[in-house]
Amino acid sequence: MSTSTPTPVFTPTGRDLSFGGVVASEWIKFRSIRSTWWCFAILVVLTVGFSLLLSASLSVDPAPTGDSAQSLSVQAVTISTTFGALVVSVLGVLIISGEYGTGMIRSTLTAVPKRTPALLAKALVFAIATFVVAVISFGISIAVSVVLLSGKGLETDLADPQYWLAILGGVCYLVLVGLIAFSLGAIIRNTAGSVAVALGLVLAAPIVLNIVGVLTQLVWMQNLEKILPSSAGSALAAYPVESSGAPTTEGLWTIEPWAGGLILVAWVVVLFSTAIVLLKRRDA
Amino acid sequence: MIEAHSLTKRYGAKTAVDTIDFTVRPGHVTGFLGPNGAGKSTTMRMIVGLDRPTNGSVTVNGKPYAEHRAPLHQVGALLDAKAVHTGRSARNHLLAIAATHRIGAKRVDEVIGLTGLESVARKRVGGFSLGMGQRLGLAVALLGDPATLILDEPVNGLDPEGVAWVRQFVRHLAGEGRTVFLSSHLMSEMAQTADHIIVLGRGRIVADAPVNEILANASGGSVKVRTPQIAQLGPLLESEGASATATAPDLLSVTGIVAQRVGEIAASAGVVLYELTPLTGSLEDAYMELTRDSIEYATADYDTPTTAEATR
Repeated sequence: MSTSTPTPVFTPTGRDLSFGGVVASEWIKFRSIRSTWWCFAILVVLTVGFSLLLSASLSVDPAPTGDSAQSLSVQAVTISTTFGALVVSVLGVLIISGEYGTGMIRSTLTAVPKRTPALLAKALVFAIATFVVAVISFGISIAVSVVLLSGKGLETDLADPQYWLAILGGVCYLVLVGLIAFSLGAIIRNTAGSVAVALGLVLAAPIVLNIVGVLTQLVWMQNLEKILPSSAGSALAAYPVESSGAPTTEGLWTIEPWAGGLILVAWVVVLFSTAIVLLKRRDA
Repeated sequence: MIEAHSLTKRYGAKTAVDTIDFTVRPGHVTGFLGPNGAGKSTTMRMIVGLDRPTNGSVTVNGKPYAEHRAPLHQVGALLDAKAVHTGRSARNHLLAIAATHRIGAKRVDEVIGLTGLESVARKRVGGFSLGMGQRLGLAVALLGDPATLILDEPVNGLDPEGVAWVRQFVRHLAGEGRTVFLSSHLMSEMAQTADHIIVLGRGRIVADAPVNEILANASGGSVKVRTPQIAQLGPLLESEGASATATAPDLLSVTGIVAQRVGEIAASAGVVLYELTPLTGSLEDAYMELTRDSIEYATADYDTPTTAEATR
């Protein structure tokens, strides 16, 4: 180079990249996309609407008491969870596959070149927001169902910790199934493909395994169905009723709520770790 | 300062970037030239860690980009104006990226003003024209007031006013001691913007030299010299390795030498010049010449002065 004059060297100033900053960034992204609000609005309407419908149309004569009454009360709140899970799954896929689809991911990973914090922050923001919205919609459903059921003589015992645990289980199921879908979106990176796989896993797989399992009488296949996210979620959100002593097929698992929760967490851990490894390895 | 060492990227059997070494210095505008598929974008993506090199390494100010504590203050990159979620407004897009480094809304509005996006800042990016998208990409690159700017085709889609602004602006940024590395297909644009040019052809560096040397060395890049002392000047130039042809009684067409050097030779010999015009034509010519015959330049002579000497 021919320059002999000393060139000034620019020294940048400013604050460092921080995880808190990445979380703030993901929160801005999350709330500035319309699909977020559409999905959450649908979740609230579905949850409250189904609860209202079930509580209003249920005929309880004579009104059950004890465990079965509590179980019914829980169902009146969490009845829509299967559909809620689909909505949350779609949102979980969209917030990550939407970045791949539009190319936004390259801006994200340029700002956060270590990558892992970006995916963690995104999952965190999504999980917390989904938790809050699920709590709000179940909260409204509780108020609606308790009043309506009470009018029919079915009194919900709100001092029963199992009642709250079961509903909390429903909330956690929505968050965890959302994270499963989010991880699938991060692995597959394509919206259509990710939605198909996520809904296949949550919706279609249990039906298929169930039918085939029952027809073939294969115990392992029926057990396999029990560790799918949707079945584990049902277990997690169920009000534990003492078994009536009905005979069960030998070797068939009974999934307790806590076990259902652990199974879901395992799904999330495996898929999310895979997503992180692939995110670090692949070109953006 | 950007330094690449044996940087290589292969996609399956195809080698996009083939063992290249180069240095981009602060205080200068360095142009990155090459036909489509030459590996320019891939190289730029590797600099900011979007693509992982198959081999070799590239550092920005002494470290791999990802190792910096404040990446956005080190490098501002415009690699792809479409790297934006189409459903989000421009301002929210900027706010989100700024938040990672706790850059405030004040700076976001500053870059919006700087790039002329005020009127569309709150509109969703999906409806942006190519030029608006490009301005937004520039705004993102400027967010961190970075020491290094990496701009892939920054004037793509801009109106003439925007092109002039970018040209002026990158020169200003380099003047502040920043490193500016930009690619362009508008090669004449490069001649006016860049101090130094790195030409890439089929994944290899075919030239790495100051812009005037690139221009002068391309065949067809001749110098028109009008002098009453043709007979005296001609042999002097030829003794420097140039070839001079008289095209008129007082006119020489000289190749293989820069106009600057012709002037110096004439001055030291006391030859009067009426006219001294570098007929470099366009950088396109130089560039076509370079990429057509890449072998000649494809040595490891990326150190700037020697390339020019070796080809004389």
